[in-house]
Amino acid sequence: MSTSSPHALTAHWKKFLAVGVVALAVVWYFAFAGVAHHENRQALSVLVGSLFWVSVLIGMLMLTMITRVFDAGWAPLIRRNWELLIAGLPVVILLGIVPLAFVESFRHALWDWTDAAHVLPGGHTVGHDPILQAKSWFLNEKFFLIRVALYAVVFGGLAALLRRWSFAQDTDRTAGHTHRLHAVSAVGIPLGAVTLTMLAFDCLMALSYHWFSTMYGVWFFALSIRLALAVTVILTYKLSNGGWLDGLLNQAHRHVLGCLMLAFTVFWAYISFSQYFLIYTANIPEETFWYNIREFDAATGLKNEWWGVSMYLIFGFFLLPFLSLLFYRTKIVAGRLLAVAWIILVGGIVDLWFNALPRQVYDASTPEKFVVTPFLTSSLFLDLLAIVGFGGVVFALFLRGASRQETIPVHDPRILESINYHE
Amino acid sequence: MNERNERIHGVACTFRKVSDVFHAAEKVRDAGWKNWDVHTPFPIHGMDQAMGLPRSPVPRLTLLGGVTGFITGCLLTWYMNSYDYPLIVGGKPYWSVIFPFPVLYECTILFAAFGTFFGQFIFNRLPRHNHPLFDLPHFARVSDDTFMIVLEARDPRFHLDESRNFLQSLGGQEITVIRD
Repeated sequence: MSTSSPHALTAHWKKFLAVGVVALAVVWYFAFAGVAHHENRQALSVLVGSLFWVSVLIGMLMLTMITRVFDAGWAPLIRRNWELLIAGLPVVILLGIVPLAFVESFRHALWDWTDAAHVLPGGHTVGHDPILQAKSWFLNEKFFLIRVALYAVVFGGLAALLRRWSFAQDTDRTAGHTHRLHAVSAVGIPLGAVTLTMLAFDCLMALSYHWFSTMYGVWFFALSIRLALAVTVILTYKLSNGGWLDGLLNQAHRHVLGCLMLAFTVFWAYISFSQYFLIYTANIPEETFWYNIREFDAATGLKNEWWGVSMYLIFGFFLLPFLSLLFYRTKIVAGRLLAVAWIILVGGIVDLWFNALPRQVYDASTPEKFVVTPFLTSSLFLDLLAIVGFGGVVFALFLRGASRQETIPVHDPRILESINYHE
Repeated sequence: MNERNERIHGVACTFRKVSDVFHAAEKVRDAGWKNWDVHTPFPIHGMDQAMGLPRSPVPRLTLLGGVTGFITGCLLTWYMNSYDYPLIVGGKPYWSVIFPFPVLYECTILFAAFGTFFGQFIFNRLPRHNHPLFDLPHFARVSDDTFMIVLEARDPRFHLDESRNFLQSLGGQEITVIRD
């Protein structure tokens, strides 16, 4: 095989796996060491790293099913890469969220509500918290562990079905697989929507369990699709320069991905703002505290580090991609679309930080009896390392899959339409 | 002939095959024509490029409408809630960018839609109740099984006999002079 073959890339899967395993070993080592010293910040790195890829892959899973249901003519060429990538979704859940939930020390360190001895900002413990007692039908450890197991099963099952019949079509050339996948997707979209909503409730919203937002699942969906599209743009850019999309990815494919990025940038902003807006308008303390700790110090009233993060989300994660993507040229010029995709990718990490990291920690010395965990710590690097680690595993699986399956769905009924896609 | 019939709209020419009209369009484009058009019963992918058409200018009016709408929304809410009749609602400031934001973006969307809708009318020169092409007996067939290229007289390149010969050289079948 010459190195110029479009599939030469797949030979690198072992390197990706090695990088992933080493990075994950380091992150998990720090997480164990941290929990042993009653610190949870390192365990949060595992959570943020795995949730980043869970988010990306859930977005790709939903996009796979949505393009199936709507028989999107442009999609097959790009969808095959999603199908190859979503093999990693159950793996990331099993390597990240499942051990965090099932190992008691991590569970207690991350999810305060699971630890009856945990001291709340007011000074009383979780075990004596009437708010938790009222929510205990949902927030109890047994049901929580069942739910976490279900996330792996549902997403793993959907990914397996979507992959299996799509790959089967490559060899047996049966159009019936397309109808079958259509049916799987029609059932899978509502099932996936409920599951990802519950996953967002359990893994992120329940980190501060007094707070609640019915829009949280939709926010997570919007974030997932944005991140999935950003990764898709970056990946297809790479694959169209020396990979299996070389000479196949055209301006119209970039245009459709750019339009979707614009649409979901607006959708993310709409949902994120609406969540803020309703809480701001109603002004109920049990909801507003979540935004208050992300804006100012309770004792002094001065803006804290999280205010800067919020401003970054508004201007860096919404306004900049939004204004850039309004212009037609941004959506068709490969380099510009790539730059916007990276901006969205970075913004998505910041959004996960914004949602996962700020916590009220009991501190009797302050007038409000709590302090908010800071944003700028060296553990941010551990978060990035966790993202690299899980990403290494995801892309090792992707490249290994690409070496065994067709990287273009050659017998998809719409493959010619997709390759010749026109604006 | 009366004077009215001397005014010529252009020359029309029919084609029977997509590939013929497509390549003919490329040649008209390469000859530097600006005021001309292609009529087809269905969209032909790539015809925009074959005709050398630029992007529609309508999105510029959409953007202009959106920006106008946002500013209008700001002024509207500021004037009503903070200037003309200052009112505290729910302990919120008289005016900030947060509480009236639904008004701001709805105004943005509304005015952007106006910009698009009326911009489309302006650039398509609508409304227009008749067109000289409608007098051609076989024009109805371009919505059935015929393709047509029309070279318009207002193009500086237009010269009746030369244009007719040009269309002939492109492989056009039925060549007709359209009178205003």
